[in-house]
Amino acid sequence: MNRLRGSVKWKQQAVSWLIMLPGISLFAFFLWGPLLQGARMSLYRTRNIELVEFVGFDNYISVFRRHEFLQALGNTFTYTFWSLLIGFLIPIFLALLIGETVRGKGFIRTAAYVPNVLPGLAAVLLWSAFFSAERAGVVNILLGRLGMEPMAFLSEEHLVIPIIVVIATWKGAGATALIYMAGLAGINPQLYESATIDGAGIWKRIRHITLPAIFNLGSTLLILQIISIFQIMYEPLVLTKGGPDNASLSLMLLMWRYAFGGTMDYGRASAVAMIIAIILLGFTALYSVVNRRKIDWE
Amino acid sequence: MKTRTGIIRDFDSKTLGVKIGLMAVYAVCGLVVVVSLFPVFWVLMAGFKDLREYVSSTAILPETFNFSRYTGTWTQLNVVRNYINSFYAIAGSVVCSLFFNGLLAYGLAILKPRGYKTVGRLVMASLLIPATMSLVPLFINIQRLNMGGFFTPLWLAAGASAFTVILFRQFFESLPLSIIEAGRIDGCSQLQTFFKIVMPLSKPICVVVTIFTINGVWSDFLLPYLVLGHGRWQTVMVRLFIFSTQQTINYDDLMRAVVFSMIPPIVLFFVFQKKLTENIVTVGIKG
Repeated sequence: MNRLRGSVKWKQQAVSWLIMLPGISLFAFFLWGPLLQGARMSLYRTRNIELVEFVGFDNYISVFRRHEFLQALGNTFTYTFWSLLIGFLIPIFLALLIGETVRGKGFIRTAAYVPNVLPGLAAVLLWSAFFSAERAGVVNILLGRLGMEPMAFLSEEHLVIPIIVVIATWKGAGATALIYMAGLAGINPQLYESATIDGAGIWKRIRHITLPAIFNLGSTLLILQIISIFQIMYEPLVLTKGGPDNASLSLMLLMWRYAFGGTMDYGRASAVAMIIAIILLGFTALYSVVNRRKIDWE
Repeated sequence: MKTRTGIIRDFDSKTLGVKIGLMAVYAVCGLVVVVSLFPVFWVLMAGFKDLREYVSSTAILPETFNFSRYTGTWTQLNVVRNYINSFYAIAGSVVCSLFFNGLLAYGLAILKPRGYKTVGRLVMASLLIPATMSLVPLFINIQRLNMGGFFTPLWLAAGASAFTVILFRQFFESLPLSIIEAGRIDGCSQLQTFFKIVMPLSKPICVVVTIFTINGVWSDFLLPYLVLGHGRWQTVMVRLFIFSTQQTINYDDLMRAVVFSMIPPIVLFFVFQKKLTENIVTVGIKG
């Protein structure tokens, strides 16, 4: 009897694994495998899609010696800086403001979310028309109304990264604000009432109740935002191809350029990918240290 | 009259300062609405212009609302074919996403065979690994297996979505175990339990996963570009990407192509608007 139950159980386990197997194989083929392969490929000299010979860290060294890599590395941190300055605070303000509205709340929330629905490529192309250097570019029309000369925004080395971050923020802020609004909705309304009875004004309520309540959420979203802006690629790819003069080239775009930009330099591309992965791993480690109490690996 | 639910309460809204503050709140919100919607409105209007007007006119509204310009670009670029291709890509991806991710999550949430935790951890960890990281080796594998040129890799890729597995898993864990066990006692096999009991009970999460998959597959163009390239199965986004990189390009046609690529997701959003925003609020995730 016992042995019978044991074999039934064994069979059940095997069937369970069989049920999970298709999904596991797909994860292995599309995510886990390529990651390991990428690590291996970064140590090889490649020709076309073949690994030619093991060269140790040569790809890394040659990548680090290239001017464009150092520029891309610097640019990526510039992206991160602007994205924290512009992209992090706007959704919080947005959530606080929308939370204060009564009439038209649903409409405002929906309108702010609409940019998030658009395909990323369409949004970037749309904005490229806005920042077009022509007189008929929308921003130049506005400048013209103010009596100013038209500008070629995307050819300005110092403007191009902030502009790309503004576009990314335009697209994502409404959705992020929605997450903050969910956090704000979780605050017990009685807290506000009793604080008021104790004589707290509106600013004091914001400082001592509202902001502390979304602090944890904010720190999580902050690190997720850093991780995501670090991988910025298709926005500069479509908008400027990394120009002018590599001023908007990001690390991820450099990887794309090495691999798919005509040279098929897969070894160097993998080395760049591994460098990004290592930096992101650092950020992730930071994230789990900050959120040690909360992170649940199950 | 509705009551205030934010930081400013009804008992505040009597003093002058608060009234002015509230007006400022509405003013900023109005600005937010304009900034969010104006570009979409602008591109719709720009699509009515021909090249001459597009380049020279500084007016937002077109001189005439000539629909034949939209239909002209539509037929000239043969966008119908790309729409159909996108539909194929989406249909297969939705099926793969529900089936493969669902089964994996079923194993992780309900069957829990010995060692399942390791798989769960690996899936969680893949959430932190950027998908673009594996782009190069994945592309090479697809080349080696000669799978390029058709949708198969894109469909199967939808079946390896860590985010979807986690959504399913959370939902399955909230299902009442007694119903699942009752099915077991009635003689359902593990696989039958999934199709006859678990999935029918999980319609809400299936709807959410379907919407996310449709949106994601419609918008994606990097992997599709690498897989489908310049072949005959180009989706709308791949076509738009290639179109936008061409040297000689009519900007009025490009703007109309942008409009064509925006219509389906916007329609989908307004049909499922409530479901989507509610779910983002409850699940706390980014779309």
